[in-house]
Amino acid sequence: MTQEKGHRSAPFAAALLAPVSILYLVFLIVPIGYFLAVSFLKYSPERLYLPELTTDNYRRLLSDGYYRQIIYDTFRISAIVTLFSLIFGYTLAYFLSRMKSAWRGILMFLIIAPLMTGVIVRTYGWIVLLGSDGLVNRLLIGLGLVSSPIGLLNTEPTVIVALVHIMLPYMVFPIFSSLVSQDPHLVPAASTLGARPLRTFFEVTLPLSRSGIVMGSALVFTLTAGSIVTPELLGGRNVTMLGQTIYQLILSTFNWPLGAAVAAILVVCQFSVISLYFRKMRRAY
Amino acid sequence: MPIDQLASANPPHANRAIVEPAIDLSRVGRLLFTVAVAALYVFLLAPLLIVIYASFSPDQANTYDISRASLRWYRAFLDSDSFVSAFKFSVMLALIASVLATVIGFVTAYGIVRFLGKKREIGRSLAMLPMMVPHILISLSLLLLLTQLPIPEMAALVIGHVLICLPFTIAGITASLEGVDADVEAAAYTLGASRWVVLREVTLPLVAPGVLSALIFAFIISFGDVYIALFLSGPGMTTLPIEIFSYIQWESSPVIAAITTVQIVMIVLFGLLIERLVGLRTAMRL
Repeated sequence: MTQEKGHRSAPFAAALLAPVSILYLVFLIVPIGYFLAVSFLKYSPERLYLPELTTDNYRRLLSDGYYRQIIYDTFRISAIVTLFSLIFGYTLAYFLSRMKSAWRGILMFLIIAPLMTGVIVRTYGWIVLLGSDGLVNRLLIGLGLVSSPIGLLNTEPTVIVALVHIMLPYMVFPIFSSLVSQDPHLVPAASTLGARPLRTFFEVTLPLSRSGIVMGSALVFTLTAGSIVTPELLGGRNVTMLGQTIYQLILSTFNWPLGAAVAAILVVCQFSVISLYFRKMRRAY
Repeated sequence: MPIDQLASANPPHANRAIVEPAIDLSRVGRLLFTVAVAALYVFLLAPLLIVIYASFSPDQANTYDISRASLRWYRAFLDSDSFVSAFKFSVMLALIASVLATVIGFVTAYGIVRFLGKKREIGRSLAMLPMMVPHILISLSLLLLLTQLPIPEMAALVIGHVLICLPFTIAGITASLEGVDADVEAAAYTLGASRWVVLREVTLPLVAPGVLSALIFAFIISFGDVYIALFLSGPGMTTLPIEIFSYIQWESSPVIAAITTVQIVMIVLFGLLIERLVGLRTAMRL
């Protein structure tokens, strides 16, 4: 009944949806469009930009070896982080989806809790763990494996480990959802038909959870490619990602046009990688 | 919601009691799988547990000597003006942003669920917009807008946080509203109640747990955010994560461990509250 009543009151619906529409339009869509448009304008040391159209910013980014290396590194690190998050996340999601006890709620909470503490808290945790007087170095020295603390911070593997840790929960939940929504009769049916457990997994369970895999991977890839704080704190001078470059260009050198161009490249690459991934996954099955 | 749609939302095979382990591995395989899962939990929780442990450290160097545990870093936190004011500022900002995001989120979710009819899915996807763009893009665009329009910096920070919280509040409250039996509202209309009375007396009490958990969830997101605040914080308006970020770029001290422990405890309590209200999974549903 309410449904029918609803159709007759378009003005009421418009009034309810107006605040969010205005908010998104004025403070999200228009400013982002404006920001990306600045990437086609000329740099000026005195002002934000000179109102002259140019493609110099993009040309500089794509020809300069320094920036090309950063673009390459960002997407390489994001791909590695996505891959590991997928393997680990699938394991956890599979475990949670197949368990029946009352512990499930608690075990799920233990995955969500780190997520809710925010990026800074988790990055700091890795600094404490891996610092020169951190637990890992103490263990290594205590076991006699090394004689003096080894430098674990300021390396790319550390950044990758911490990013996998930060991104893992984002992978678990979409995959978990796709696993629990599968028809539970499929697996017994496959085994009745003579499929061995591993074959059942690879030919029934895994293909049917691809929507969760795609969702989780897209989310993790996007979030990783845009990270600033974790590579800055754990990678030091040895790891530079696009997010840090944008941060430096805009807050230190005030080069808005070039910073906007880096951001545009980041976004375009993210979306193309993700749409490619979506298409590949759809074709694969 | 029409009855047939309600039925399809809960397909008969949603009963998970009959799920068989898909990989019926040998005993060794099962053991390996359990060990892998346990190792992943250690991986997930170790960085947080070590922070809590380090916060009771007796000295600067994080000696892991629990027999000399001390609370001196908690005192150092309370004595530090910059951290205390950043903490207060973060709480205030998160309160404002989460209340706004919940109010706008409720209005939007109500509009989507009750008035969009078949276009509901489109509305829901559009509402997720701020989640699909990288957060640094949102904050940089708002920073650029600040340079062009006479908007107070505080307002830009609040707007940024409202934007990143909205997808979560809208999704959470939409899920709650969809759980309300349409027949209950229809019954109230039949008995002559006006739309406003139905909303106030029937719908709102039924979705109150969902709305409250959306509020808490938005608070957590705002409190933990760094990417919006990274570009929009200014003098006198530094959030706790940004204060910590600028501090640990140069030095490390257990005082950070003490502050983060306070934050972890606060968030775990909030999380348990959401779990009691609606279940964390419902609150996280996107």
